[in-house]
Amino acid sequence: MNRDPLSESKKQSKPILLFNDECAVCRHIGHWVQRSAQSQSGDPSIIVQPIGDDPETLRSLNPALDIWDAYATIHVLMPDGSMRLGGEAVAVVLRNLSNTKWFAWCFDASLFGFRPFQVVLNAAYAILSDVRPLFGCESCGKPKVLRPLQWMTQWAKTLIGRKHHPLPTPHFSSLSTGTRRSRGVASRLLPQSRRIL
Amino acid sequence: MTNQTLVHPGQMSARSASNGAIKTITADTFTKLVLDAEGPSAVEFMSYGCAHCRAIEPVLEQVAKMVGAREKIFRVNIAVEEELASTYQIQGTPTFVMFLNQNEVGRVEGPSPTVESVLAAVTQPFES
Repeated sequence: MNRDPLSESKKQSKPILLFNDECAVCRHIGHWVQRSAQSQSGDPSIIVQPIGDDPETLRSLNPALDIWDAYATIHVLMPDGSMRLGGEAVAVVLRNLSNTKWFAWCFDASLFGFRPFQVVLNAAYAILSDVRPLFGCESCGKPKVLRPLQWMTQWAKTLIGRKHHPLPTPHFSSLSTGTRRSRGVASRLLPQSRRIL
Repeated sequence: MTNQTLVHPGQMSARSASNGAIKTITADTFTKLVLDAEGPSAVEFMSYGCAHCRAIEPVLEQVAKMVGAREKIFRVNIAVEEELASTYQIQGTPTFVMFLNQNEVGRVEGPSPTVESVLAAVTQPFES
């Protein structure tokens, strides 16, 4: 029988890390956390869960959790019902992993109410979050600062003979070729009466 | 990206606190609510992981309230409804497809996330 990791986490009062499964960078990090969180007894110290596509499922975990927000920023749902976002969420994850908790104390270190290491971690998360498209995020869109780089890459591809298909608008995320191919197969299975184009 | 780093129990985010004016539809309800419906409908093919859809969402909610009863606006999540996306040959997100009397009468891909742009996208096909 499959065990639902979310209901398990409710019972065991573990933090839940939500990650964007459509983003290659987030997926890679999420899987690393999942592997690292496994203890020798097989009981994970933190639950790692893709965000998914159902807003109601997320709200059932925490009524304040909005699916758009969840995709915008990393979220960790705490057992006490609060949520940690961004760099604070990363710090929670690092505190809960056996191979990183030895240095995670530094994020709590405070100097006159100022937590210098946490500030650095927040900045590091913000930068990584913004440059995810450079590392293969299929869903994050392209920040304005990266567009010149994207245009230069496309121009370079035309120089070496690869065909360039410009996007019709900067506010549009093209579906990947693989996705479109699988959808093409699905469309052939649909009854003709459904096709009105 | 949000600047808030801690959300306390019971505290609602700005998005979840607002009532959504746009209904999410599935392949099961698409025919009844869009094709067989009387009057104009606009369908946004989107994905929750798409940054452009995220940017356009609050604008679309605003536009949905502006058009009110004159036009229905729906949302289709292409990550779940792959067959619908294939049927309507969706190449990316967000794509707006406008329907009237069971026919597609217009299509706009990736409008600028402003009220003027989105309002024009979802209303102009019905004005001609």
